[in-house]
This record gives sequence, structure tokens and C-alpha cells, in this order.
Amino acid sequence: MDVIQNLLMGFSIALTAQNLLLAFIGSLLGTLIGVLPGIGPAAGCAMLIPLTFQMGPTGAIILLTSLFYGTQYGGTITSVLMNVPGEAASAITCLDGYAMAKQGRAGVALSIAAIGSFIGGTFATIALVFAAGPLTRWALEFGPVEFFALIMLGISLVSGLAGKSLIKALMMGIFGLALAMIGIDPIRGSPRFTFDRVDLMDGIGFVPVIMGLFGLAEILENAERPFAQMVLARMSTLIPTRQDIRDSVGPILRGSFIGTALGLVPGITNSASSFLAYVAEKKASKHPELFGTGMIAGVAGPETANNAHANGALIPLFTLGIPSSPTIAVIMGAFMMHGLIPGPLLFKEHADVAWGVIASFYVGNVILLILNLPLIGIWVKILKIPYGILCGIIMAFMILGAYSVSNSAFDVAVMLLFGVVGYLLRKFDFPLAPIVLTLILGPLMERSLRQSLEISQGSFGIFFSSPIAVVLLALAVLFLIAPAFKFFRKGKVVMSGDGEAA
Amino acid sequence: MHWKHQIAALCFLAFSAYLMWDSWNNMEYYTPLGPGAGFFPFWLGALLGGLGIVWLVQVSRRSGNTEEGPSLPPRGGIVRILSIIVSVAAVSALMDLLGFQLTMFLFMIFMLMILGRQTIWTTLIIALVCSVGVYHVFGRYLDVQLPAASLAFLARLGL
Repeated sequence: MDVIQNLLMGFSIALTAQNLLLAFIGSLLGTLIGVLPGIGPAAGCAMLIPLTFQMGPTGAIILLTSLFYGTQYGGTITSVLMNVPGEAASAITCLDGYAMAKQGRAGVALSIAAIGSFIGGTFATIALVFAAGPLTRWALEFGPVEFFALIMLGISLVSGLAGKSLIKALMMGIFGLALAMIGIDPIRGSPRFTFDRVDLMDGIGFVPVIMGLFGLAEILENAERPFAQMVLARMSTLIPTRQDIRDSVGPILRGSFIGTALGLVPGITNSASSFLAYVAEKKASKHPELFGTGMIAGVAGPETANNAHANGALIPLFTLGIPSSPTIAVIMGAFMMHGLIPGPLLFKEHADVAWGVIASFYVGNVILLILNLPLIGIWVKILKIPYGILCGIIMAFMILGAYSVSNSAFDVAVMLLFGVVGYLLRKFDFPLAPIVLTLILGPLMERSLRQSLEISQGSFGIFFSSPIAVVLLALAVLFLIAPAFKFFRKGKVVMSGDGEAA
Repeated sequence: MHWKHQIAALCFLAFSAYLMWDSWNNMEYYTPLGPGAGFFPFWLGALLGGLGIVWLVQVSRRSGNTEEGPSLPPRGGIVRILSIIVSVAAVSALMDLLGFQLTMFLFMIFMLMILGRQTIWTTLIIALVCSVGVYHVFGRYLDVQLPAASLAFLARLGL
């Protein structure tokens, strides 16, 4: 009952005119920042912190957190309309979202994404209220061994992104892992594959790579035909059909669970959540071969997961004081600047702030839904712009986005390189999604593998000493060998070289 | 026509060979405390090489009629693709020298007028917004500092 009473107290704080206005401004700014490539949620929150100095702690945190989950929806808009992910977490939405836009269903894709984001965000907030304690205690049991097993499970899901060719998907997965090796070795600190370039010491930029692989590669492919002949994405309706809603219920529920659960684990980004939700949908679908052609589940699942993750990632911050992502770290910094230490004591010493902010998550999610559904009509007007103009503007945005990640023209060259690589890989029907999945998980996987082996002094037996790790590794193996079983059972050419590009 | 796939497979094999060679020769494979910096990339190279060989064997064993491989775009398409690649490379090379505003202005003129076949006024307006407009909005309101020209005479012009 205490939880309900505290939550009601929180609502009385969150629903004041000032806090409602701050949640609205944060959601609107977040959506705008999500639309602009290159300005991520962390940078957006960091830029706003100086503006919050004059505010009370509750208002300041409400502004920053509403901006944070606003960015998660904003990134979707450019993914669906332009095939350019505004945020890394929206990259996977390009696959089916943009395909839907080409079929004139951009409005439906954005509506379902807005509804899924609302449900996912609300689900994660309910989890924060009721299940934060036990879940975070479980996550705390994760050492490097269990973490490695968890990452292995994530990476084994590349088989779900394989299309018809498991071999090509595995090759792309390893290619992504190899790219993740560039930069300073996380344990010893020695440079690897840097060619003595300072620009590569911090590793290869994730944003330039995905912009190249998804955005520029698409533009190069379109350039095969004269721009005047380009068929632009069209929009016929905003309202999803009954079938669309029926097809979205399962993905939204699954996405809510996946996003919230992965949001709890420090170090896992919301890109991983949206990718894993996509893989889960493909696995669950009766028609996995149709993914990438405009399946509503390919939009609903990842978009729900990415917003659920954004809210779920606040659970370790509020209950344990652990920031699980760079953006959460920035928000934690804002807490500390206002004299508050996130963690268990926050609920005792500053219950009004803690519960006020939690209640504002519900309010913020409602604002985001109310804000975004009417705005979809405005966003999709972008589609009426002739491709000759739109292509130039998209290119300008991509160059700007790649540059502004670390203020380096080198990142523009990286984007170009991966644009060409992505174009060639598409021509050979290689799926691109596994590269992004392993590029995200690669550094985490290597660090936990090497830490585990250092603990055991080189013995791989350590991975069988933890029951959690054994279960997770067994699942990973199952995911990887399942397509091989399919091959023997059905006699299909699952392992062959033909495949669809994701 | 499976030679295109064979060449692609050989490219992957070359990449995997490089990964293994560099991680074996220039990085610590194992240390007294456990795996070194070269351990993980070495095995990635080995795995990629193994998969590359399997793919090479698969595409080589297929009959020539079953798979045509990726087709080359028409001549006009190749020109457009190369134009985009060269122009983005030029942006990357010139941005620190000419500054964001001038580089992006020239790039947009090229993209909109030459490739996009837009009218002069449409081109000029969009090019100005995407170069000068973006430079000032991002610099002033979003705190994203875009590069100014390093050439003195351009810097004096505020570019």
C-alpha cells in the first residue's frame, strides 16, 4: 500500500502546472533532438543541464528525463520517412518502417511506433514502481562470467537476422565484432588496428558506421536510377487498420518485456534492446521471410522495446545509483548537481523528488503520445519534397550528424567508407543488421570474456561454474544450431549463400 | 557468373588473414594474467576465414547458370554513384580548410543543381539554409561547433 500512497503523492507533484509544462517542453525538445541526426540524447541532456540550475531538483530531473524518452521517439521519424536513423536505437526500424513508407504506410508505421512507445514506456515505469527491488538484486548477481554468457546469447541472435543465409549473417556478425576491436584495448590499454591514427584510438564511431551502412548505402543504391524516376515514400492514411493493431499487440507486449529487462542491465544500450526485439519478432513470426518488406511487427517490437528500455534503464539509477548508459550518467550528474545522490537513500531522504519524477514518467508518456499522433501529419509532409531536393538535404544531415559526433571530418570519411561497404554488401545480399548488433555488443563481450579468463587464470571451465551462465550459454547454442536443424529437417537451403539483405 | 562471389569471398579471406596476422604479430596473444589484446581478434579472423572458405566452396560448386551475381548499374548510375562518393570525400577533406559554411554550400550546389536538376533559386535557398543557416543555428543554439575556415582570407570573411 505504501507504494500506491507514494505514487499518489508523486502524481500530486508531477501534475502541477510547472512540472506539466516542463514535461511537455522536454518531450517536444527530445523529439526534435531525436529527429536531428548526430545530436544524441546524452548531448541533448548535457546541453540542457545549465538551464536547469535555476530550477528545483524535481523540475530539473523531469525536464531531462522527458527529453531523454522524447529522443527515443524522435529517432523513429527519420528512420521511417528517410531511412536515416535519427538515433542508433532506431536503426533497425529503417528495415520495415521505411519499407512501409514506400508502400504509403508511413503514417501507420509512425502511429504504431507512437502507441508502442507509450505502452512500452508505461510498462517500464510500472516495473520501476513494483519490481525494481527484486529485479535489481538479481542483476547484481551478474559478474563477468554471467555477463559474457548474456552477451553470447545476444550475439547468437544474429541467426534470427540471417534471412536465408546463416553463413552470411555469421560473417557479418564477425565483421561487426572485428570493427569493434578498433581502438584502445579495454584491458591492457594498447592500441589495436589504429594505423597510428589518433582518430581511431577511441574506436570507430558507431553513428558514422550506421549512417554509412543504412543511409548512404541506400542513397548510393537509389543513385543507380535518375533521381527524377525515384518513387518516394507515400502516405495514404495515418490510422492503422484492425489487422495492423492485431499484428502489433504481440510485438508491443514482447517489446515491453525485452526493453524493460535489458534496461536493467548496466552497459546494454537501447540499440541492443531494439535489435533483440526485432530478432524476437522475426523468430515469433509465421512469415519471417517477409521482414524487411514492411512488416508492422518489425516497427512495433523495436520501437516499444527502445522506449521501454529508456524508462527501464532508470531503474538501476533510482534503486542502486548505477547509471546504465551515457545518457543516464548525464542525468545522474544532474541529480548530483542538485545535491541528490541517486540510490536507495533517495527514496528515504527525498521521497518527494523520487516519487514526483517517477509519476512524471507516466505523465510524460501520455504527453508524448498526445504530442506525436497529431504531429505525424506534419512529419510525413516531408515525403512530398522531390527526391532531388530530399536527397541533398539528407546528405547534408548525414554529413552534419557524422561530423558532430566528435567534431571530426574523419568521421565523415568513416561514414563514406561504410556507405560504400554497405552498398557493396547489399549488392551481394549480405544482411547488414548483424554488423550493428555485434558492433554494439563486441566490446562488452570481449571485456567480460577476458575478465572471466583472468579470474580463472585462463581456464574456460569458469563458464560452467555458474548456473546462470550455463543456462544462458545453452540458450545461445540452441539459437545458433536451430537453423542447422531446420536445414536437416526440411531440406531447405538454409545454410546456402542466397539470402536477403536485412 | 559466380566469379563475382568468388572475388567477394577472397576479399573476406584477405581481411581475415590480415586480422590474424596483425593480432599475432603486433599484439600480445596471451599474458601471464590471461588473454592479451590479440587473443580475441585472432580468433575472430580465424572464424571469419573459416566461414569465408565455406562460402567460397559453396559459390564455386554452383553451376554457372544458377546465380548471376550482382549486376552493374547503367553507365549513368555509375557516374552518379561516383559523383556522390567523390563529393562526400571532398567534403571530408576540405571541411577543416574551407570551413563548414563554404564546403557545405558548394556540396549542396553540386547535389541539388548537378545531380538533383533543381532550379537555381531552389538550389541557392536550400544551399544557404543547409550551410550558413545550419552553421549559425547549431553553433548558437545547440552548442555544436562546426569548423570555421582555416585559410586566413576566408576566416576574415566570417566563413
